[in-house]
Amino acid sequence: MADNIFTIKNLSFAYGKYEVIKGLDLTLHEGTITTLIGANGCGKSTLFNLMTKNLKPNDGTIALHDENIANIRLKKFARQAAIVHQYNTAPADLSVEKLISYGRTPYHRVGISQDTKEDEEKIRWAMEITNTLKHKDKPAAELSGGQKQRVWIAMALAQDTKILFLDEPTTYLDIRYQLQILKLIRQLNREYGITIIMVLHDINQSLYYSDEIVAMQDGKIIAQGRPEEIITSELVRRVYDVELNIQNVDGKPFVIPI
Amino acid sequence: MISTRKKVLSFVITAIGLLFLFLIAVNTGSLKVSPAELFKGLFIEYNPDVATIYDLRFPRIFIAIFGGTATAVSGVLLQAVLKNPLADPGIIGISSGASLAAVLITAFFPTLYFITPLFAFLGGMAAFLLVYSLSWRGGLSPLRIILVGVAVNAMFMGIMSAFNSGTGSNYSGVASIVNANITMKIWNDFFTLFIYVMIGLILSIFVLGQCNLLALEEKTARSLGVNVTRNRIMISAIAVLLASISTSVIGPISFLGLIVPHIARLLVGSNHKVLVPYSMILGAFTFLLADTVGRTIASPYEISASIIMSVAGGPFFILLLRRSKQNYGG
Repeated sequence: MADNIFTIKNLSFAYGKYEVIKGLDLTLHEGTITTLIGANGCGKSTLFNLMTKNLKPNDGTIALHDENIANIRLKKFARQAAIVHQYNTAPADLSVEKLISYGRTPYHRVGISQDTKEDEEKIRWAMEITNTLKHKDKPAAELSGGQKQRVWIAMALAQDTKILFLDEPTTYLDIRYQLQILKLIRQLNREYGITIIMVLHDINQSLYYSDEIVAMQDGKIIAQGRPEEIITSELVRRVYDVELNIQNVDGKPFVIPI
Repeated sequence: MISTRKKVLSFVITAIGLLFLFLIAVNTGSLKVSPAELFKGLFIEYNPDVATIYDLRFPRIFIAIFGGTATAVSGVLLQAVLKNPLADPGIIGISSGASLAAVLITAFFPTLYFITPLFAFLGGMAAFLLVYSLSWRGGLSPLRIILVGVAVNAMFMGIMSAFNSGTGSNYSGVASIVNANITMKIWNDFFTLFIYVMIGLILSIFVLGQCNLLALEEKTARSLGVNVTRNRIMISAIAVLLASISTSVIGPISFLGLIVPHIARLLVGSNHKVLVPYSMILGAFTFLLADTVGRTIASPYEISASIIMSVAGGPFFILLLRRSKQNYGG
């Protein structure tokens, strides 16, 4: 198995008195695509926000390699891990290229933001791989949902990190754009070795595109492993509280969602 | 999107407009001099008319220019922090908080005259924190900020007027702040304004990139390694500084910090690296225009620039309010 990238120990988090994450342990592996799945309210979004330094744990530690992320400065963290959030907005007149160039912010000193040659190369690469180069002079706000999502991914890629977090990157998109995004994510992992950690709603897309599945219920991890190893009717019932059949498609498990 | 050519054109036209307006303002009143005489009188040989103009009109003109600049930039910065195109230092009570502090200092500790701007800054900051915390409910709704701001503004204005009336309007310095009157300003007032405004403007240059990043969702800005909370505090402090300084010398001005950035965005776009410099020029132009119109419209009587701004700005604000559903930065 690949090296550990995130090691989470005894993690707890509560919103006021309401405990969402309860003594959670988890190890994620470098170079893989890992997807968090679980029913609404199971704590996967909270775990995602804890791992991306948007929330602070009440107890326990999250280590990136060997360093507790609580001790990593935000700017340094942004050079190691990029995050594509679910909901994004941009000023109406901001061009795609300019928006993507914001991805270089973690490499700039405060107040000074002259793009270097390296910046320009990374921005160009990010636009090429996400197929947004042809839109570079258009306002990002005028693009379609699928194109916009690729622009936000490009901004994250311009950060030039080895880790990419995505929070429900396919939500609000129709099926064609969903597949485009998922294929792009796989390409980023396979060709560029970027470790992908994401939350997905669609269980079958999770199973098909992930190397590893982390199933959560009630603030805890109840299963972790390769999709074909862990997915059973029993697990689906525990996670989502519904009875669903499982079939094999292309050697991968497929949950019949009806 | 707005082409670079159009942006440059806006800069050039507004700058030329400001220059012309300056010459008109110099010549508005009972004394008249030609630009050649003015130049000669200022730099070459003594001319009594030019000397009078220099002592009486120049300070107020420069005060109008720098006060307008400071107020406009303050508006842009506040709008960036609050993500609200309706934020204006006058409307949401920062200016009146600053004036109240300035009034109290002028009335009770007139010897501390030179540090009045610092107290005005504290007053402005207090008003801003009050509005910010009272309108925070898991997020900032643009309309709630305005409503709370209007209430805070009315309260501070009321206290000030009460103080002014209760003392029989005996403190002329107080009355001039309350009425936002720049008629009797002298060079010393200008220097006070100039020093603090320059500090505020120079500081603002360093946060333009951060202003742009604040337009993104907070989480997204954080994911770029930006400490959003710290930036908000820093940018607000600069905005409050600029508004308070101009208030402590000129008095509270409403709508200038709202109208100028709005027009500026239409002309040069929302990139703060262009928007803020342009708002500086347009702010100076607009306030000098208001002052000059106020001097001529009912001559020989004068209407203060802040009253002109209120009369012209009110309808404009209502227009923006009606259109505000089409959100900012969506």
